[in-house]
Formats: sequence, C-alpha cells, structure tokens
Amino acid sequence: MNNRLKVLRAERSWSQQDLADRLGVSRQSVNAIETGRYDPSLPLAFTIADLFGLPIEAIFLRDGDPQ
Amino acid sequence: MTATETDAATTSGRGPVFWGAMFVTAMIGAGALNVSNAIEGPAATILMIVPMILLLPFVKAAERRSAAKGCMNPVIMRYNRRMLLASFGYVLGLGIAITLWKQFEPPAPVSFALALLPTLPTFFMIWAMGRYLVEETDEYLRFQTIRAALMSLGMVLAVGLFYGFLEVFKLVPHIEAYWVLPVWAMGLGLAQLWMKVRGE
Repeated sequence: MNNRLKVLRAERSWSQQDLADRLGVSRQSVNAIETGRYDPSLPLAFTIADLFGLPIEAIFLRDGDPQ
Repeated sequence: MTATETDAATTSGRGPVFWGAMFVTAMIGAGALNVSNAIEGPAATILMIVPMILLLPFVKAAERRSAAKGCMNPVIMRYNRRMLLASFGYVLGLGIAITLWKQFEPPAPVSFALALLPTLPTFFMIWAMGRYLVEETDEYLRFQTIRAALMSLGMVLAVGLFYGFLEVFKLVPHIEAYWVLPVWAMGLGLAQLWMKVRGE
C-alpha cells in the first residue's frame, strides 16, 4: 500500500518525530509507515486521517494508484 | 527532544556496544573460571554476579541510544527493569541452588524446592515478555517484537529438533532441557539485530 504521509508532513514542516508525538507512536513507526514497510491498523489509519483532516483514502492509496 | 538534547543523549557516556562487549567478556571469563573449577562454592556464585552488574550500564546506555532515536517509551523501560530483576534473580537462584545441592545432597522434596529457585525468575521473564506485548501501545513496535519472537521460536524448534536427533544417534552429548530459554533469548537478540541491520 502506498501513502502520502511524507508529502503531508512536509507541507506542515513537521519532522518524523513531530508527527510521531502527535500520533502518540514512535518515530520508528512513522518511518516504517512512510517508507511502506508497515501498513498501519485501521484505528491508527483513522487517527492519522483525523490529524490531517482528510479521509483515509486521500492518504493511503492502493498499489498502482497515482499518488 | 531538541537537537542539542539528542546529541547530548547520544554522546554522553559509553554506548551499549561497549557495555555489551564488557558484559559478554566478563561472562565468558567468569564462566571459564567456573567450568575449569578454578573457583568453587559460594565464591563461584558471587563471581557470576559481578558480570551481571555490567547489565545495568548496558541497559542504561541502550535506553539512552533508543531515546535519542525516538524509540523509547515507559513500557520498554518497565520491561527492561523487569528483565534485569529476573536476570539477577536467575543467576542468584542458580548459584544458591547448585551450591546447596552439591554441598548437602538434599532429599528429593528439598531438591524440588531448589530447582524452583532459578526456575521462578525465568517464569517471571516469560511473564514480563507477555506483559510487554499487552502494555505496548505502539503497534509497530509490538509487531516487530512478535516477529522477532516468532523467528526465535522457529530457530529454537529447528535447532532443538536437529540436536535431538543427533543425540538419538549418539553424535553429540546430552544437553539439559533448561537451555531452551537462553537459546530462545539469543535467537531473539539475533532476530532483532537482523531486523536492525535491514533497517526495519
């Protein structure tokens, strides 16, 4: 699964640690999600969507979907 | 944590690799003295505790390093404290049990109680691992720990089965069953190292 987390974070000038603190997870987790090594659970995906004020499908994309 | 604080956290004191190497070296040294019977009785138990003390700066340094990388949380710290406590209990219990058993050759009920001395701290270790998985709120860290535990379990099963058959065919000496936990713990460490090397 692809995601736009890095772009959304960069738009807000947040570091990975800033985002991790806002989500209540480790910086390692943010890095793993951003690089596509880990797909978050639905609850965490909803938390991320709420934080950015976007629907989940605007952040997480199916493989092959244009970014 | 600011960049300055991060730098300070990373650079203050010796790193976990240094303290880990010190611990392993001291353990090998103490183990060699025990195996060669150079030191026996209560002195041997005390000798094994000395390297264990090195675990304190090792854990502190590892926590400092993890905090600098943004991967430290109170659950991991609690887990580390529990494992340290259990490790000290294990070495102490093992030393006392073996010393008493060798010196007094006690009857079966007392031997049973002596066997519990090193066993109970290992039960506490298993409980601490379970509690960590229950208490960890970061799903990625929990996922990584479960992955490492499963890899380690696979290694223990593979090594145990193969060694068992080698024993049946009298190709290798007998190994006591309690080695399963240290081998599993080593496997856990190797799995975590492998994941770290792969940048996971």
